[in-house]
Amino acid sequence: MPVLLIIVPLLALLALNLPWMRLMNRLALWVGLILCLTQACLVIYAPAFFLEAPSLWLGRLFLFEPSVDYLSLVMFLAIAIVGAAALMVCRYSIHTAAEPGTCANNRFLVINLVILALTGMNGVVLANDLFSLYVFLEITAVASYILIAAEKGRDAFEGAFKYLIMSAVATALILAAIALLMLTAGDLSYVNIKLAIMASPHSGVVLAAVAMLVVGLFIKGGLIPFHGWLPDAYSAAPAAISVLLAGIVTKTTGVYTLIRIVISIIGLSDTLENLLLFIGAASMLVGALAALGQSDFKRMLAYSSISQVGYMVLGLGTGTVLGIAGSIFHLFNHAIFKSLLFVNAAAVEQQTGTRDMNRMGGLAEKMPVTGCTSAIAFLSTAGIPPLAGFWSKLIIIIALWQTGHIVYASLAVLASLLTLAYFLSMQRRVFFGKLATGFESLKEANAWILIPACALALITIGIGIGIPWLFETFLLPIRSLL
Amino acid sequence: MMLPVHYLFSTGVFFIILLTVTALYCILFSRNLIRILIGLELLTKAVTLLIALAGYITGHMALAQTMIITLIVIEVVVIAVAAGIVIGAQRHNQSLDVRTLRNLKG
Repeated sequence: MPVLLIIVPLLALLALNLPWMRLMNRLALWVGLILCLTQACLVIYAPAFFLEAPSLWLGRLFLFEPSVDYLSLVMFLAIAIVGAAALMVCRYSIHTAAEPGTCANNRFLVINLVILALTGMNGVVLANDLFSLYVFLEITAVASYILIAAEKGRDAFEGAFKYLIMSAVATALILAAIALLMLTAGDLSYVNIKLAIMASPHSGVVLAAVAMLVVGLFIKGGLIPFHGWLPDAYSAAPAAISVLLAGIVTKTTGVYTLIRIVISIIGLSDTLENLLLFIGAASMLVGALAALGQSDFKRMLAYSSISQVGYMVLGLGTGTVLGIAGSIFHLFNHAIFKSLLFVNAAAVEQQTGTRDMNRMGGLAEKMPVTGCTSAIAFLSTAGIPPLAGFWSKLIIIIALWQTGHIVYASLAVLASLLTLAYFLSMQRRVFFGKLATGFESLKEANAWILIPACALALITIGIGIGIPWLFETFLLPIRSLL
Repeated sequence: MMLPVHYLFSTGVFFIILLTVTALYCILFSRNLIRILIGLELLTKAVTLLIALAGYITGHMALAQTMIITLIVIEVVVIAVAAGIVIGAQRHNQSLDVRTLRNLKG
């Protein structure tokens, strides 16, 4: 009954916006958290729920027939975890001043849009034909445009405008590709398009469609050379929204969709493999080098995000089962540790009032939990054993080595060293060393930050230690997709 | 009376290319935020025309019509949000010039 993942949040949104505002202002956060946690628990404890066919009356009501496999389950879990973390950070950092003209406050509106974005992402994961994929991509994108500009600052409008323009152009490219594929296949379901492409793999229309589709998804995922909007949007967005955007939105709309379309529709040709490997390696290196030069905390994390997306695309570019499994595993790990870093960035920004790393120093003395979880997250990102990031990077590098891409494998190791370099510089400037002047009365953030930070850190450590078990239950089932 | 398909096809392709070029020129070279939004609209119109053409040629007009109606609805939502963002930017910068949006860099 996976359709419920879309219907229930939508009904909850409707109920929240009925005219009983005073009560709903307080209740919205809890509704969002319950939705996220239910989704996470269902994935972990009752995966059969997602695999069963819809009951008769639901099937009659909706023509939309979702398809669910292990890849989707991983995504549902990541969406639920990052969504819950983002909602808690909303509670912490978004003020509750009433909007002029209504009795709804700003936080209530933001939480509503976060739930809408989560619904859209569930839909992207569930989609079984290109047209519903497009609709859900747009739902997610529109919700995130508004969320970036939610605090109405000057930079926020600038970041949102850049994201909007790039994303709208990407959507136009994807739609044009959909039209061309409709011309070839006469239908839009993944299965029929795959058959039509296999029947005529070298026709000009198909090649043009595939090129536009892939470029559109590169823009949505923020890969080099289409990454211009990403650091601006991430750093201008409110702290809680950066968690959501960096952790899951661009990864679902860009990377997951790319993986899904490559697996289910277009398949990997040699040209596409080389393109993916090249773009992936370029993003990985350029992102890491650009992150070295940043002094804005969130901007550095944004460039780091570009670099990690490069790894995922590199894994996909190998075309082997191991590479794609590593890519998906890295996507999940990235959702966890990058959200953790952005949660910490939210805490630091809120407590110190600045994001400039040169003005900070020695914060670990005053904010011990934030400093400690941030160290765990960056070690995981840089790929230090036994944390989660090490295993996914190792799998991707082994897959590259097995397919004979030794140069790309060495570049991946090099980029990992660069990651360690910029994160060590970040940790030293922000958390270690002598306490900077002006921060003597600094306090640790409250529980709304510490609970998600500790939970995400525990998940990172847990995945790292539990890898032998996870490899059996989580990574090997992906083989059945290919 | 139905028009011959090849005639319709070439006219359609001509207008799609014309709209796309105009839209890209509008997005890339104009300095006014509102004109960039108009460029986006033109780009979407080109895609809409392409979908209609694809539906006509393959004989799946029903599918194409459903898609186009949904597309129009979504496009209106996107452009309303975009206009809101432009108004916000204009209130902060007192200008609609795209060169005022250069605060973020690095």
